[in-house]
Amino acid sequence: MTELIQNLIDGLGRGSIYALLALGVAVIFGVMHLLNFAHGEMITVGGYTVYWMMQRDMSWWLAVPAIIIVSVLTSLAIERIAFSRVRGGSDFTLLLTSFGVHFVVFSIFLLYVSASVKTFDRPTWVANTYSVGSLNIEVFDTVVIVVTVLTLIATSLLLQRTMFGLALRAAAEDFEAARLMGVRSDSVIRGAFALSGLLAGIAGVFWLMRAGSTVPSAGIDPMLKGVLAALIGGLGSLRGAVIGGFALGLAEVLLRSRLPDSIANLTEGFVFLLIALLFIFRPQGLVTVAHAERV
Amino acid sequence: MFPRPSRDIGFPLIGSTVLFVVFVSGALIYQALLGGAAERLVTVMLIDAIVVLGIQIYIGNTGVLSFGHIGFGAIAGYVFAVFAIAPSEKMRRVPDAPFGLAEVDVPTSVALLLAVVLTVVIAFIVGIGLARSGAESGAVAATVITLALLFVTHEVATNWPELTGGERAGLFFKIGSALDSRLPIYIALFGALVLARLFAQSRSGRLAVAAREDNLAARAMGVNPLVQQMVALLMSVAVVSVGASLKVFEDGSLLPGNFFFNYALLTLVMLIVGGRNSVTGALVGVGVMTAGRELARRLGQDGFEIFGIPLDDAPLDWVFRENLQTVFLGLSMLGFMLWRPAGLLDDWELDRWIADRFRRGPDEQPDELGSVDPDPSVRLEAQGIDVTFGGFRALDGAGVTANAGEVVGLIGPNGAGKTTLVNVITGVVSADAGTVTLGGRDLTGAAPYDIARAGLVRTFQNLRLFGALTVRENVEVSAFVAASHRADRPLADVDELISAAGIWEFRDRRARELDYGNSRRLELARAAAMAPWFLLLDEPTSGMSGAESLTMVEQVRQMAGLIGAGVVVIDHDLNFITGICDRIYCLDQGRVIAEGTPDEVQADPLVQAAYLGTASPE
Repeated sequence: MTELIQNLIDGLGRGSIYALLALGVAVIFGVMHLLNFAHGEMITVGGYTVYWMMQRDMSWWLAVPAIIIVSVLTSLAIERIAFSRVRGGSDFTLLLTSFGVHFVVFSIFLLYVSASVKTFDRPTWVANTYSVGSLNIEVFDTVVIVVTVLTLIATSLLLQRTMFGLALRAAAEDFEAARLMGVRSDSVIRGAFALSGLLAGIAGVFWLMRAGSTVPSAGIDPMLKGVLAALIGGLGSLRGAVIGGFALGLAEVLLRSRLPDSIANLTEGFVFLLIALLFIFRPQGLVTVAHAERV
Repeated sequence: MFPRPSRDIGFPLIGSTVLFVVFVSGALIYQALLGGAAERLVTVMLIDAIVVLGIQIYIGNTGVLSFGHIGFGAIAGYVFAVFAIAPSEKMRRVPDAPFGLAEVDVPTSVALLLAVVLTVVIAFIVGIGLARSGAESGAVAATVITLALLFVTHEVATNWPELTGGERAGLFFKIGSALDSRLPIYIALFGALVLARLFAQSRSGRLAVAAREDNLAARAMGVNPLVQQMVALLMSVAVVSVGASLKVFEDGSLLPGNFFFNYALLTLVMLIVGGRNSVTGALVGVGVMTAGRELARRLGQDGFEIFGIPLDDAPLDWVFRENLQTVFLGLSMLGFMLWRPAGLLDDWELDRWIADRFRRGPDEQPDELGSVDPDPSVRLEAQGIDVTFGGFRALDGAGVTANAGEVVGLIGPNGAGKTTLVNVITGVVSADAGTVTLGGRDLTGAAPYDIARAGLVRTFQNLRLFGALTVRENVEVSAFVAASHRADRPLADVDELISAAGIWEFRDRRARELDYGNSRRLELARAAAMAPWFLLLDEPTSGMSGAESLTMVEQVRQMAGLIGAGVVVIDHDLNFITGICDRIYCLDQGRVIAEGTPDEVQADPLVQAAYLGTASPE
């Protein structure tokens, strides 16, 4: 029982980061029908920012806002340079454009920094734990979960209570109709990329605190988790993305602790198997989105 | 299998041979000029070409972006290596391999066969998941699954050292047991080329391309895209497996990283730069990217000189660096997506170009049009149909009945539910209540392609043609389906239908080049080629002038007579409707408010109030 609760807390911590990433992916998918394979690049850029700051002995208190700001700016820049040119393109073009963006960012760091791993100090409190009864809880997990919940509440208020949120939800529902109703497509799309960058920035802070290192290909892993979680939750649904993120985190942690030691390092393979089964029996993902074909 | 053997088998064989000779001799000339150093580069390029052609079979014909083919390549590579490597070597590297694989000793050819067969079996299982989620959430979902597959194969390969030797040690052939000659590579490359071209021209390939161009329209023409996509997947995975095995053999070693992200990106860039919808393009892409990457690699390593002036010094130092070839690949991918997403060649094929040059004389336009008598026992009945969208009641107990050979009109104001009724009948929208029967057979809730095969074929209000296909190929798509599912009916000749629709002169044009009226006529011909019992036409004259819509009356009549079909037609144009219909239903707010001959319905006060306003027509 204790172990189960322990696992649940670990899984929620991990799932929180995935949920933030998946929500960012889902927001972009909503307005552009683009599944953003460059979503991890915000974390790559953030990682090199931290590395640069740590080299100069700056503190994590400075690094945290820096990562978030850099992430938002990167997201906006990518939209401006690449995605604005392929709006309305086919799925194929959109997907490969985002992959091209990943590829270019990757090669820039490869060319101008180094192919090797760059490490930086993690904040000292990351490894600390505290006890509640027989439970050993990481301070880090606690912080991650609390911040994520606050972020999700704030995002939800933003989407429900502001004009921007209304425009964004309308655009996600039916982009053309929203445009005809006077929603400015440019500002909604840019806003969506800013929001997505912000969410990726917050997730990136946690990701980098835990990793303590970065490489040119650092964005792939978080991107993959975010995209998979969004898909598990049901593409096109913001709530689904968050649920998918938590589900993925829990599944990973539970599997890792339950599998016998000899095959525990194949966890990722089993997670994929679970996802494959999910898609065979519930191809629309966990949350069903009503999307009638327009005829 | 192949609609026109000379064009669909003969020319592809000739074209593939020419391509093969040009590609290989080009590579050999380069090798002869540069000597030994280029030998390895050429071998690698030939193997890459096999893999890229394999990927093209799937991506080109289905339009679904896949990263997973390199994951399948990894599976094939490991199966091949584990079986092909000599037991003595395996006992040294992976003595604890599961299932006693360390002691297995089979000839290389058997190992290759095992690699292909096992990988294709795994592809079949993965393909079911791909198909199901693809059908539900679109091609994007399928792409993510392929990407996940790539990562998982890598993850498993890295973390299963008992079988794979792990991330550092890997699997090795004994030194010197790499390929002695290129003969197997040449054979595989030629085979891949021929297979890719033949598949694209085959019935299955054409149906897959139709679904790529417009999934819903393909289903409405009786195509089940999932079947065609699965066929394409298995074919392409088989080719990729051969290529991957050759790559492993040639490398003489196998590490998890060999079939991972970098290789997936490399092969994808090659494919999209050349033109993913073209086999010729795939080969061109392999050549161009291999040359470009080699150039970038050298520039990055050595810099270069022009007229004795070294250019890798100060001002350009920031460009000519190590890893320049990765930048080159990345920029190629992004650049082509932003400015030329169809690639260098789009869907141009060498053999089709040759075929067009060698066509003997103009085809003859069929002048005598036949006619088929309708089968009086087949009636279409849709009754008591309810549909709600959210809280909105789109149909409320609506229905329509049509007798064999009868032309029935559906009229009513915008939002009355006419299109929704046709959508329910053709299976595009599922109803909350009500039944649809055709000649006594219950079609309620059946899949669109089953309904089309049963003999109800529709057109769409907002044109849905297979844009990249020619007029003739559009009609051929439904003719293929008809040949296998409606063979008990007399099937009209494709040329006859094109001629009857009045678009004979455009028969070799691409559908997306047609103007509005001709597009409508093509949709009509394409639907008629299914030899349906009933044609359901959704606003066939929308956007046409008065004179044009009167010609359309004739064409619809002629087409229906040619195939012996009844017609259910939605239209706003009263001249058209009264000119063509035997009976008319008038819908308002999801209900049938009147039914009868054109004169009766026009005189009905309810109709006048709801549809025509209070003033009577004319």
